[in-house]
Amino acid sequence: MTVIGGIGFTAPWLLLGLLALPVLWLILRAVPPAPIRRLFPAVTLLLGLRDDESVSDRTPWWLLLLRMLAVAAVITGLAGPVLNPSREASGSGPLLIVLDASWAGATGWPDKMALLDAQLGEAGRTGRPVSILRLSAPEQPVFQSADVWRNRLPGLEPMPWQPAIAQITGAETAIGSIDESFETRWFSDGLDYAGRDRILAALDSAGPLSVYQTEKPVLGLLPSFFEDGAIQLRAIRSPSTLPQEGTILAHGRDPGGTARVLASATASFAAGETHAETALSLPSELRARITRFELQGQRSAGAVTLADDSLRRREVALIAGREDREGLELLSPLHYLEQALQPTAELLNGALTDILPAKPDVIVLADVATLSGAEETALTEWVEEGGLLLRFAGPRLAASEVSRNDEHPLMPVRLRSGGRSVGGAMSWGEPKALAPFPDTSPFFGLPVPDDVRVTAQVMAQPDPTLADRVIAALSDGTPLVTRKPLGQGQIVLFHVTANAEWSSLPLSGLFVEMLERLAVSSSAKPPEAEDLAGTTWTPVQVLDGFGALEEAGNLPGVEGAALAEDPLGPDLRPGIYASEDRRLARNVLTAEADLVPVTWPANIPVEGLSIERETPLGGPLLSLALLLLLLDVIASLALSGRLRMAALAPALMLGLAFSLVSPDARAREGEGNDFALSATAELVLAHVLTGDRNVDDVAQAGLRGLSETLSYRTSVEPVEPVGIDLERDELAFFPFLYWPISPDQPQPSDAAYSKLNAYLRSGGMILFDTRDADIARFGAGSPNGRKLQQLAAPLDVPPLEPVPRDHVLTRTFYLLQDFPGRHQGADVWVEAAPPDAEQIEGMPFRNLNDGVTPVIIGGNDWAAAWAIDRNGRPLLPVGRGFAGERQRELAYRFGVNLVMHVLTGNYKSDQVHVPALLDRLGQ
Amino acid sequence: MTPALTLRERSEAEASRLPPLLARAEHLAGTVLLGDHGRRRAGLGDDFWQYRPAQHGDSKRLIDHRRSARGDQQFVREREWQIAQSVMLWVDQGASMRFASDKALPTKADRARLVGLAIAILLIRGGERVGLTGTTLPPRRGNAQIIRLAEAWAQDAEPDYQPPEHRAMIPHARAVFLSDFLGDLDEVELALTKAADRGVRGVLMMTLDPSEEEFPYQGRTIFESVGGTFRHETLKAGDLKPRYIARLAERKDRLNQLCHATGWQFGLHHTSDSAQAALLWIYRALDGGHR
Repeated sequence: MTVIGGIGFTAPWLLLGLLALPVLWLILRAVPPAPIRRLFPAVTLLLGLRDDESVSDRTPWWLLLLRMLAVAAVITGLAGPVLNPSREASGSGPLLIVLDASWAGATGWPDKMALLDAQLGEAGRTGRPVSILRLSAPEQPVFQSADVWRNRLPGLEPMPWQPAIAQITGAETAIGSIDESFETRWFSDGLDYAGRDRILAALDSAGPLSVYQTEKPVLGLLPSFFEDGAIQLRAIRSPSTLPQEGTILAHGRDPGGTARVLASATASFAAGETHAETALSLPSELRARITRFELQGQRSAGAVTLADDSLRRREVALIAGREDREGLELLSPLHYLEQALQPTAELLNGALTDILPAKPDVIVLADVATLSGAEETALTEWVEEGGLLLRFAGPRLAASEVSRNDEHPLMPVRLRSGGRSVGGAMSWGEPKALAPFPDTSPFFGLPVPDDVRVTAQVMAQPDPTLADRVIAALSDGTPLVTRKPLGQGQIVLFHVTANAEWSSLPLSGLFVEMLERLAVSSSAKPPEAEDLAGTTWTPVQVLDGFGALEEAGNLPGVEGAALAEDPLGPDLRPGIYASEDRRLARNVLTAEADLVPVTWPANIPVEGLSIERETPLGGPLLSLALLLLLLDVIASLALSGRLRMAALAPALMLGLAFSLVSPDARAREGEGNDFALSATAELVLAHVLTGDRNVDDVAQAGLRGLSETLSYRTSVEPVEPVGIDLERDELAFFPFLYWPISPDQPQPSDAAYSKLNAYLRSGGMILFDTRDADIARFGAGSPNGRKLQQLAAPLDVPPLEPVPRDHVLTRTFYLLQDFPGRHQGADVWVEAAPPDAEQIEGMPFRNLNDGVTPVIIGGNDWAAAWAIDRNGRPLLPVGRGFAGERQRELAYRFGVNLVMHVLTGNYKSDQVHVPALLDRLGQ
Repeated sequence: MTPALTLRERSEAEASRLPPLLARAEHLAGTVLLGDHGRRRAGLGDDFWQYRPAQHGDSKRLIDHRRSARGDQQFVREREWQIAQSVMLWVDQGASMRFASDKALPTKADRARLVGLAIAILLIRGGERVGLTGTTLPPRRGNAQIIRLAEAWAQDAEPDYQPPEHRAMIPHARAVFLSDFLGDLDEVELALTKAADRGVRGVLMMTLDPSEEEFPYQGRTIFESVGGTFRHETLKAGDLKPRYIARLAERKDRLNQLCHATGWQFGLHHTSDSAQAALLWIYRALDGGHR
């Protein structure tokens, strides 16, 4: 490929064709445009006329230029121009590609893979064997054909750690095992790490080495911590002279359980600075939901910090049995607890029954002996749902009979009466010290200070289960702290008081640490190795190199000390670790982490990652040539006068299309407004269009008849009723919908149903009319009845009952007892009265609830009875003779009552109070 | 297929074209109000003029017995003097007439035939005898003659430019020549002088397409006659326009002078104009000749 001016040509010799362009120009100028043949009877008059100029009618210069451009584009396009031509591969022999493959490179990973792909493609063309070595997960390099590696590229992923000593050593041996010379290309992530120089030396001695790395700074997020009432967030980057902003997103679950961004903050790096800080002040409720922080736009494990218990402030309810000793602060049973928990937990005070609905994480009962039955039940329930009940002993507990003979459900052990005191004035023996914690204890690993002494305690009854329940004991083996699980929660009893009366335990730092281990409180600082000594942590969720959380699966547990201090690696992945109730996050970056940019020796070439893809320009150029030729055709036609109609037609079409579209759209918009206006300017009765022409017409005529009747007899004066298309029309304008059922009407769409349900909930009423009372009883399975069931199934219909005799529908305007339409007798169903509706003595009606029944279902074909024609004459016959007319009159009365019920609600139902009101007024 | 059969088929195909032309011609003729035709004098004719008392010398055969029987006097039935003029039409059937520069325009042949047939209808209604120049269709009366005329004009002639038919001209008859007169003018001159020799006067109507009048052409063009016998190539059609128009004017001028010299009338009609105007003009021109 020849490169001319940054553009490569696959067939550069074709460009010589461009030299022919001037010649072509001359020829095109000389050759007149092709003649047009025209029929012309008057040609006889032309015979013998000579052209004035021997030169032809010249092609205009711009048309010539157009053609020359087209030809030039064709020639250039055929010469195979390629933008950003890749340079020819240099070198031969085996090629080792070394990847740092750490989290730091995860953000730019696709770029890296693209470059790698290009290089593998090149190596494949030159037939070089290739091997790929990831320093963060070294394997024995195997030289294979580049195509094999290309297939494996998608499987190459960055690791969420940087190469540590173990990996460096592994890589070194791997490199050393290659016994031939090879070329190396090192894709660096741009960060320095210990041992890199060892790899560099090994590679440099093996053959030529070049380095690829991005110039962009590496961004990371340091672990967050809680201080001064806000979450302190720190972002870090490798040194850069440019100012930069990073948005830190707090991810978590909302109350609905959906993962979303709960908050965000912006950290700004000043020019030249490597640290940026920001704080996020959130309510504790929201803060507790945060699962991780993430730098927006970065896709690496280093840009993620996981939130653990340190952000989560537990809610601890403190309840003491004695509150009568005012002024003696230091003797208050809760004083030391408050002091210990204040910095790290939210404290709740109040009565137990008030606190329980707030679902605290921990309830501390300090010397509370007896609880009321309701309290006990509620508390038991709360513990079983995962609460931690922390009880402290005291004089009351010691004196009470709680858990004396039988183990109380809310006590871990049975207690002996009286307890004991040791080392007092009236007793023998020394105050007792604590025994070291057994390895089954959650306190295992905590150092036992010598100065903690216990002078009094309550004693546990020896029981078969006692040994399992002791988690801390005195030096003589008597249980000091016992615990038992209950449901998903647990109950812990300190056999001493929560103040310093019985022991010096609350005075010591051990007390705080014990509370921490019990997950009563959580430390705001990341734990040190010794804090975690003796614990085992199992990974819950781990991060991959890109910063995505995945379930840990069956990854092995990690020693507490290792979790705190060991470098990350395959055995210790960053993620969330759990031990008992505590959760600890191990982040990629520690609080003291620093991102040191790598410096390469001067003799090693370092190149950027950006690859410029080869872009063949031939296609576009040829298309351009085609386009130009098309223009030429149009221009030539125009010049020779053959373009009139051809040019006019599209323009006409366009104009026509515009004139067709726009008024239509305007009309539609106006229609919507008109509909709303006409539906709301006056009261309008509406019926649902069923698609059956006959039914719809009868419904329309029926509602018209009802509207007329209403206008004559009442102050309700509806205008001409309308038919409603459920799919299209807004329902909210209509207080009442008449829905005749026909067996073949279409099922409304989901959208229509949601509209209908909203309509019913917001006070609308639908009168369903199966119109088949002459042949079927309600629900007897007539086609209409079945259709009604189908139609109404998705509707939000309350329980129904046949209209009771005291329903307000029977007396909203007329006093009615049955509701005939064109047919008579079938039950009419309305919303059932509430079960607690009771008849008040002396009142004719029950005191029913508020509200209008949202649906009325019947089959009496009311619309047919109401229907009148344009002249006001009844449209359809009802019954026979006078009895029939009477039935029609009752049907109208039902309609009037119905509309009155819709419009006035339970107004008439309230009349039930009238005698009482009159009575009271009389006094 | 027998020749007779093909002839039948062809004639039927041709005949199918007749009614529209006839109908259009009738329609066109209907727009012209018929004026006075009779001589308003007693004479030879078909129509009744008056009864007059028989005079001496009247042949007994002339006595109208129905009228005479009413009284004692004998009456002779006089007829209006009607001189049936012979009008001979010549419509150019040449290929050059089958040209229209635009789809919306009729061809010159179409227009010329239409006008010709319409004038024939008018004349026949007026009692004249109408025929073609030459020997094919001598002047006759009656509606059948219209059909025959239409049939005669339904056939196209092959040559590009047809000379006017000047044989068998009836002396002192009238003639109507409809053509574009783009062919050899000497032939026209010959025909006109011959007609003038015989005392035949008439109307010469030059029927042109608008494009022939305006020459709206540009660029390199090959102009061909409809029959393909003539052809002229030009590199710049636009440059020819003034000279073409000059030549056309010269031709019109010469035709006009010819007509003047021979007592004919020269008219010009464009196919873009209404046919009625041409018809009226011809009708008046012929009528004027009568008076």
